[in-house]
Order: sequence, then structure tokens, then C-alpha cells
Amino acid sequence: MAKLEASDAVVFGISIDSPAANNAFAQKIGVTFPLLSDMNRKVLKQYGILKMYNVQKEEYDWAQRTTFVIDKKGVIQSVEEEASAINPNNAVAVCTKLPKK
Amino acid sequence: MRSMHFKSMIVAAVLAGCMAAGAIRAQEDVKVTHTSLKAGDVAPDFTLLDNQWKQIRLSDYRGKKNVVLAFYVLAFTEG
Repeated sequence: MAKLEASDAVVFGISIDSPAANNAFAQKIGVTFPLLSDMNRKVLKQYGILKMYNVQKEEYDWAQRTTFVIDKKGVIQSVEEEASAINPNNAVAVCTKLPKK
Repeated sequence: MRSMHFKSMIVAAVLAGCMAAGAIRAQEDVKVTHTSLKAGDVAPDFTLLDNQWKQIRLSDYRGKKNVVLAFYVLAFTEG
């Protein structure tokens, strides 16, 4: 996180959870960056990363774990899909290489 | 009576067939939607509520900050 802030980046976590659930989650794991609620899955659809999860024979569409790095011009610099928990290393590497201004 | 029985057997068979097809489809349907966005594309803008019920608009950071968007499955799970 410190490395990302040093590279002039802000971080947002995004899921389909409610703000209340995200806030409890943020407090539990001690994240300092905002967790955003995509409750109507609008952004997941915009970014094309809805994934079907089968839980006890019912299907749910939640996010495919993906990390996007967006530069100051609003242009995507990297897209990385994650198999398990999100790993910030690549995002740190990309951000560190981006121009500071 | 006999034809009624026959009809209900057909209905049952068709239903069973549909259910089997549904089950097969559900198994195949572990759908992963891969994003069509790639490096070089403009990031779609959005406004979402953060965990303090504050609106966050992606385009507000344009010209100011690089942005890392980390999409996760569900809170209270392992990312």
C-alpha cells in the first residue's frame, strides 16, 4: 500500500457487497483504502468481469477477481485476472513505472 | 385411463429430460467472463458508493492520480 501511495496511486476495492458490509469488512481487515459497492453490478458489466459461481446448486453472478491499473489520463495500463486472492505486486510494479506527473 | 397414464409418463419423461439437460448445462456453465478491456483502452467511468456511503467517481481522479481497481468476490471471504 505504501508503495502504491508513493507511486501517486489510489486504490479502490470493488465488490457487490453493500456499503455496510464493506465497512465492517474494512474494519476487520484494517484496509485504509475505500471499498466500493457495485450492488447493481453495473460496473462489473461495464468492465466485463461478471462470473457465475455455483453455490449449493444455485448460481450467483459475482466479480471475477481482476485488478486494473488506470493511469492519470484514464487509460488502462494493465489488466490482471487473479485465480485466488488479489495480489497487489503487479499493480505496484505497473504504478511504479508510470510517470509521476 | 390407460391413455391418461401414458400421457403422464410422456410428461414425466420430457420433464426428466429437461432437468437432465439443465443439470448438464449447469455443470458446463462455470462461466468465466473474461474482460474485453485491455491495456490502452479508456477505463469506463463509474460512480459508486464507498464504505462510508460517499460517492466515488472514477473520472474525478483523471489528471490527478493513478487508480488501482481491485475487484474482489465478496467481503469476509479470502479476497
